[in-house]
Amino acid sequence: MAPLSSSEIRRRAQLRRVVVVTCWSGFLAAALATMICFAFIDPRAFAEGRTPEWWTTRSHVYALGFFLFWLTGTAGAGLAWFLARPARRGLRR
Amino acid sequence: MNAKFPPIVVEAPLYAAHEKVYPREITGRYARMRTLSVWVLLGIFYLFPWLSWGGRQAVLFDLPARKFFIFGLVFWPQDFIFLTLLLIIAALSLFFFTAVGGRLWCGYACPQTVWTETFLWMERVTEGNRAARQKLDRAPWSMGKLARKSAKQVLWITAALWTGFTFVGFFTPIHLLSAEIAGASLGGWEMFWILFYGFATYGNAGYLREQVCKYMCPYARFQSAMFDRDTLVITYDTERGEPRGARKRGTDPRAAGKGDCIDCTWCVQVCPTGIDIRQGLQIDCIACAACIDACDTVMDKVGSPRGLIRYTTQHALDHEKTRLLRPRVIIYGALLALLITGFVVMLALRSPVSLDVIRDRNSLYRLTDDGNVDNVYTVRILNKTEHEHKFVVSARGASALSVLPAGREYSVPSGAVYSIPVRIRRATYDPQGPETITLELQSVDDPAVRVETKARFLAPSR
Repeated sequence: MAPLSSSEIRRRAQLRRVVVVTCWSGFLAAALATMICFAFIDPRAFAEGRTPEWWTTRSHVYALGFFLFWLTGTAGAGLAWFLARPARRGLRR
Repeated sequence: MNAKFPPIVVEAPLYAAHEKVYPREITGRYARMRTLSVWVLLGIFYLFPWLSWGGRQAVLFDLPARKFFIFGLVFWPQDFIFLTLLLIIAALSLFFFTAVGGRLWCGYACPQTVWTETFLWMERVTEGNRAARQKLDRAPWSMGKLARKSAKQVLWITAALWTGFTFVGFFTPIHLLSAEIAGASLGGWEMFWILFYGFATYGNAGYLREQVCKYMCPYARFQSAMFDRDTLVITYDTERGEPRGARKRGTDPRAAGKGDCIDCTWCVQVCPTGIDIRQGLQIDCIACAACIDACDTVMDKVGSPRGLIRYTTQHALDHEKTRLLRPRVIIYGALLALLITGFVVMLALRSPVSLDVIRDRNSLYRLTDDGNVDNVYTVRILNKTEHEHKFVVSARGASALSVLPAGREYSVPSGAVYSIPVRIRRATYDPQGPETITLELQSVDDPAVRVETKARFLAPSR
């Protein structure tokens, strides 16, 4: 196998890092969404017909769900952006 | 003030190919502190699920039952505010300790550090010291290499699986879990999470190691914003150390025109993130202080004073006064004290039962033939204690109120929510018109278990 050029090494290292950082940020965002979502929603309430009082209409719940997923999606995407940037070397000056 | 911070620039390619770091083992004050911290933290992690409290697991995050047990405390989904507060307190503590002591968290308490340290120890036991490990990795495959590598894998995988098992044991009663494993009747989800968490431990502590700190950790990225010139950092004393170079034992470095650094590179060899602290403070530094231990050992050997690499502040290095109390420390500290006090007070005042009163929407009030007025409510009782209680509902107002059906006791099991229709009656014109009344829920068997709530009582004015 021919040795890789330095630009190819850098390209691969960058790709690997972006993949890792994206998956990891998505993982953290999913953990956050799960925590918030299921703190308020009890899955067994569906089966037993005990839905929370604030579920008055479907459209409310859809809207709340949308904003929750938007929020956590943005948090995940923001974290990915934050982590994928090259690190500033050293401390603030 | 930050403009004065000396530029600490390290020329390094943005995306370098990863090279394996072989940290050299070191003993010393800080290594002992870290070992102690590893024992305490891992002890808490591995032992806590096995502790019992009042006939149940002491620490159990029972997701299927939607309640968290932490020793004597039980948390319900209604207590979400406590979790939120706890997370805010954790974040603020991180800010506070970072401002004062730098990356103390990274060096001593972070699970990534703690497990990496453990996995490194297993690597040392099976593959030998730094030089032996490097040699082994370069050597072609042989029976000896296979034996050493397999032994390491066996230790790693066992530790990882045990970690996964313990982790799941915080969510599923661990005695049940171990019985299921012993009986080969482990549920699919438990199996999945044990393997998942085990694999995460194996990958993070065995292979990713310092890369987690460098590329995946958000804290590592923003911690420098909490630093100032009075923050404790691990630094190489350039003034004292330079110009570095080898010298004969017992010679005075100053006489030879040299600094105290003998350029032995021990500080580089012990570094778990593979940096050279002598190039200045770097974002990759997790403040584990291994380089301090290494340098102190060498300074002792060559007969120079310790502390060429040490915990110090930028101000001290610049021969200025270091201030501990500065605005950011005071603000973080005050906020932290406030939140912790609030948390403890809220926890102490937390009612063991909750009572919601909802007015019947269909009727305002109903006049009875004997000159009384009735209001109908739905009363929701949530028993947050760990025992079943019998409750009675009573009401207080400006005049005598009676609760109907009278004298009824409601038995509510632990964790259950009961909705009960209740009618409250009083004389129609005593007092005139509507009023705000107080409903009280009292446990018959335990006087401490009681709660009150306000409700509106509607009645006609004359």
